[in-house]
Amino acid sequence: MNRIDATRQLVDAVSADPIVASLGHPAYDLFAAGDRPANFYTWGSMGLASSIGLGLALARPELRVFVVDGDGSLLMNLGSLATIGWSRPPNFVLIVWDNEAYGTTGGQDTATAHGADLEAAARAMGATATATVRTGDAFGAAIARARLEPGPWVIVAKVSESAPGAKPPLDCVFIKQRFMAAIGQPEDATRGGRA
Amino acid sequence: MTVDPHWASGVCAGLHAVGSRHVVYVPDNPLSHVLRILRERFSDVRTTLATREEEAFGIAAGLYLGGARPTVMLQSSGLGNSLNALTSLLVPYKIPALIVISMRGDAGEWNDAQVPMGRAVRPICDAIGLPHTTVQTPESTSETIRLIGQTAFGTRLPGVCLLPRRLTVPAKAQA
Repeated sequence: MNRIDATRQLVDAVSADPIVASLGHPAYDLFAAGDRPANFYTWGSMGLASSIGLGLALARPELRVFVVDGDGSLLMNLGSLATIGWSRPPNFVLIVWDNEAYGTTGGQDTATAHGADLEAAARAMGATATATVRTGDAFGAAIARARLEPGPWVIVAKVSESAPGAKPPLDCVFIKQRFMAAIGQPEDATRGGRA
Repeated sequence: MTVDPHWASGVCAGLHAVGSRHVVYVPDNPLSHVLRILRERFSDVRTTLATREEEAFGIAAGLYLGGARPTVMLQSSGLGNSLNALTSLLVPYKIPALIVISMRGDAGEWNDAQVPMGRAVRPICDAIGLPHTTVQTPESTSETIRLIGQTAFGTRLPGVCLLPRRLTVPAKAQA
C-alpha cells in the first residue's frame, strides 16, 4: 500500500468529514487525492496535526474529525497521545502514515524503522480503538469502522513512500477560512453584520 | 480554607467575559489558583491539560477552527516551547487565542535558570508580532485580560497578558 493510494481511499470514504493534514507529504497527497474545503492543510508546526484535530474534535462533538499524520511528526509530539487518551473524544480518528522514514526531508529512518510501535504507544496512553494495517483492504475496513464506532481511534497505516505530484494552496488564511465555512462555522470576520 | 486571590478571580472573570469557554494549559504554581477557581465557580469553562506548551497551542488552534475562543495558560518558561506553534501555525493562519502567561524571571525571582527567558518574553512577543499587556494591579486584572482578549479575537492574532510575580506571589513568599 502506498500513501497516495491510501489517501485516495480515505477521501473517498469520508464524505464531508473534516481532515486535518500534517505538513509536507501527508498534506501534498491529501491535496492530490482530492482537494476539498474540509481539508485543513498545515504548512508548518510539525507534530501538531493530532493536537489540532483533538481541539477540533472537542469543540465540535457532532463532527467526525480525521487527522493524517506522519510517523516522524507524531514522534515529535508523542505527548499528544497521552492527552488524546485522557480526553478521549469519541469522534476523533488519527491516521498515521507510517513509512518508517522522514519522507519529506530525504528519507532518513525514523524510530519506527527500528522497533518503535506507534499503535502500542497509543493503546498504552489510553486510545480505545487502534489498528495497524498493511494492505488497502485492511485500511478500508479500519476506516469503515472508525467512521461509525466510537474512538478515539488511532490507525497506523504502514505505507510505502509515493512521490507527491502536487502542492496544496499556499495561502494559510484562505485554507483556514475555507475550512471553517465548510464545517459550518464560518469565521466571524468573514461574515459582516450590523453596523 | 483557601482564599481566592483577587488577581486569580480576575483572570477567570476576564476570560469568561471575552467569551472563552475552553482553557488549555500547562500548570504552574500561581496558575493553580486560576484552575481551582474555574473548577469551583465557572462550570461552563472546560479545561484541558497539555503535556507541553507547544501542544497546548495546537489544541487551541483546533478549538478555534471549531468555532471556540480558546485561552492558553502557561508559565513564561514555556513560551520557548511554544514558538514553532505560534510562528508557523497561529500567526500565519491568523488563528487567535487569549494567552495568559504567569511570569518567572522578573522582579522577585530567586532562580537563575528562569531569568533569561523571563527577560526575553516581551522582546519575543514583539519580534513575532503578538500584542501584549501586563497586569498592573489585582483590581485591574479582569479588565486587562478582557481587553487583550478582545484585541486577540477581534484582530485574529494571539494576544498575550502577562501576570508579573509581584501580582501572583504573596509578599511573604518573595523573601
